[in-house]
This record gives sequence, C-alpha cells and structure tokens, in this order.
Amino acid sequence: MTDVLEFPQCRIVPMRLLGADTTRRLLDRLATIHGVRRILLNGQNLPSTVPYGPSRGLATVHPQRKKIRVLGTEVDLRVQVGSLVLEVEDRSVIDEVRSLCGDFFTDFSCSVQEGRFMKTRPSLSDYARYGPLPDPAMIGLSDPKQKEDPVFLTEPTGCRGDL
Amino acid sequence: MARKPQFGPGTSIVAENRRRQMDPSRRLPIVRNVTEEDIVLLLGHRAPGSAYPSAHPPLAEQQEPDCPMRKLVSPTEGAKAGDRVRYIQFADSMFNAPCQPYQRTYVEMYRFRGIDPGTLSGRQIVECRERDLEKYSKELIETDLFDPARSGLRGATVHGHSLRLSEDGMMFDALQRCILDRDGIVKYVKDQVGVPLDRPVSVGKPMDEDWLKRKSTIFHSLVGTPLRNDPEYIEYLQRIHSLRTKYGFMPMEG
Repeated sequence: MTDVLEFPQCRIVPMRLLGADTTRRLLDRLATIHGVRRILLNGQNLPSTVPYGPSRGLATVHPQRKKIRVLGTEVDLRVQVGSLVLEVEDRSVIDEVRSLCGDFFTDFSCSVQEGRFMKTRPSLSDYARYGPLPDPAMIGLSDPKQKEDPVFLTEPTGCRGDL
Repeated sequence: MARKPQFGPGTSIVAENRRRQMDPSRRLPIVRNVTEEDIVLLLGHRAPGSAYPSAHPPLAEQQEPDCPMRKLVSPTEGAKAGDRVRYIQFADSMFNAPCQPYQRTYVEMYRFRGIDPGTLSGRQIVECRERDLEKYSKELIETDLFDPARSGLRGATVHGHSLRLSEDGMMFDALQRCILDRDGIVKYVKDQVGVPLDRPVSVGKPMDEDWLKRKSTIFHSLVGTPLRNDPEYIEYLQRIHSLRTKYGFMPMEG
C-alpha cells in the first residue's frame, strides 16, 4: 500500500443547501486561503435528465446545475452543495476557514467541523482505477468510477487548490 | 352515550393542528386561489378543457349487480361517470411543512370519499376517480394544508423532504418543478412528474416562519415544537409502544 502523508481535514456544513452563485463566491474565497490543498464538494445530485417516472429521459433544466468559474477555471457543478470538505496544510488553516465562514454566512448559520471526512489511503477501487502507484492528489476526491478528473485550479497567490 | 371522536392526543400546538386538520366538522381555511385549469395543468393527467377519459360506461348506463353494499354506498361523481383512477402525490418538508404524509392520509380519510391513499415516510400519494381528484386536489392546495415552499407536488423523483432547505427557503427538488420567482411568488414550471408546462402556474407566496410554526403538524426539536414539550403525546406513544411490544412477545399479557 502506498504511504500517504496525512493532512488535517475540516468540513463546512451550512444550514441551507447552497446555490451555484453562492458556491462560486465561497470557493473563490476558500481557494485563495494559503494552505488549502484540496476541496471536495458534497451535495444532492442534480440529474441532467429525469431519472424515472412517466417523463423519464426529459431534460431537467435546473438553474443550480451549471458551469461556474472559480479563480478563472471552469467547474462543472452537478450538485446542489450541502457541505465542503477541505484538506489543509496544518491546523491553523482551519481557524482561518472558520473565520472566513463566520464572515461569509450572514443569512444562515454554518458549522466548521474538524475530523476525517475524505479518504486518505487508496482503496481496492482506487487500485483498480489508478493502479499500484496512484497520484495521492486523486485519492478521496472523487468516486473512482467517475470518468472525469478533478479540477485543478491555477495558483493565484502561491497556493494550490484542487476541486 | 354518543362518543365524540378525539382524533389524537396531545396538548401542544402540533397536536392541536393535527386534530384541527382531521376533524371534518371544522372547515380548513382557504389561503390561496388556484384555478381549476391550473390544477389540471399541475396534475398533468389530461389537457385542460378536454373530456374526462373513462374506464367504464357511466353507472346509469350499465347493469349493476344486486348488491346490498351498492345500495348503502352512493357512488362519487367520478365513479358515477366511470372516470379513470388518477393520482396526486405530495412531498412535505420536515422543516415545519403544514402537513405530513401520515397526517395527510388521516385528513383525507376523514374528509374525502372514494380515495386510496398510499403513505410513505417522505411522500404521500392519493388515488381516486379523476374528477373527484381534481376537486380534492384543489382543496389540498388552496387550504392551509399546503405551503408553496415546504410542500411539493411531486409525482416522481420526490427526494427532498428530509434535506436542508435551499438558500431561498424552498425544499430541494432535483427536477426544479417550481421556482421562487423574483416577485416572491412560487410558480410551477413543470407538472407533478416533471413535464414542462406551457405557462407557469402560480401557487402563491411562501408562508413566513411564524405562520409555519403555528400551523405545523410535525414535531421538530430544532426549528419547531419539540415532542418532549408534549408529555401527553409521549405518554400515548409509550402506551402504544408498550402494548404492541408486549403483544408481540406474549399476546396474553397485551
């Protein structure tokens, strides 16, 4: 098994599900925090077509399912974001994230939890997908069965954030 | 001595709301107006203005068997005309929606005739003859059993009742059947199964938090009335729990 350096993680859980525009504004600010390594967006899936029922196959034109631009990079948002998991360089960054969230969420509350929320070691599925030597940046970010890769943001101020 | 139905236990506002909704002698206040044409559009079973398709000839035109039950029970308008059986389905948010699936079934069984409700944790479907359905649907949407933001008309893809609300206070809907427009009015842009409508159907403004808390029929410790605040309800639930547990274990003690 590949040895992976483990970094602190935190999870941002707002009291409301975030719209695409709010998600974009929040990501824009989170990604510029120095020390944020990776961000994972969790939320309710917004299907592109009606999955079942009499209108199965019809396009669902959902206003929250769209492409957003974070730090100039296009991100295809396909969920209504309910929580964000962050992997950071050290614990001091979590305090910074907490402070940012306090300022950002004014209409409703939000909690920032510390813990282990993202997979840090490759699983059997990762082995099947990436082989014996996976890129540590990929582990835990997305479903190994997903065909798309994570989005890599360019560094605006010397930090690196992956979505 | 004539017995007076109690409809349910409890001293809290939630318990009182449940009783008020169930009691057929109490009129449910109408809080919004939705036209019959709009109801037909929302249901999506037939085009507005078209004739009701029938499943069998009208009862007056066919030979009825000699049955004592048929003499006792008068048919509903839909049954008389031989309408098809169609449905309406609701999903109700746990964040203080004015009605809840189990409650809906109780309410409908007390107030409506000729219905077949189906109750699940997050959704409730009711089936009946088409023209009866349109009449009942109007009542279910226009009265205080419905809130445009916290109750959803969802024939399929109902997921959302137990989730956090969206930023604008609407219940999550993967198909986005209704939108909160800029004028603050909720408009359905798709029918209950997600087929786009020719024109939006307005169902009024979402009710405010105070109104929802006063009208809610669900206990919620975070945003509403906690169950712990209603000892009479807890006593009733404990009694039912105890009796059914004992009966399952040793029926002679139950």
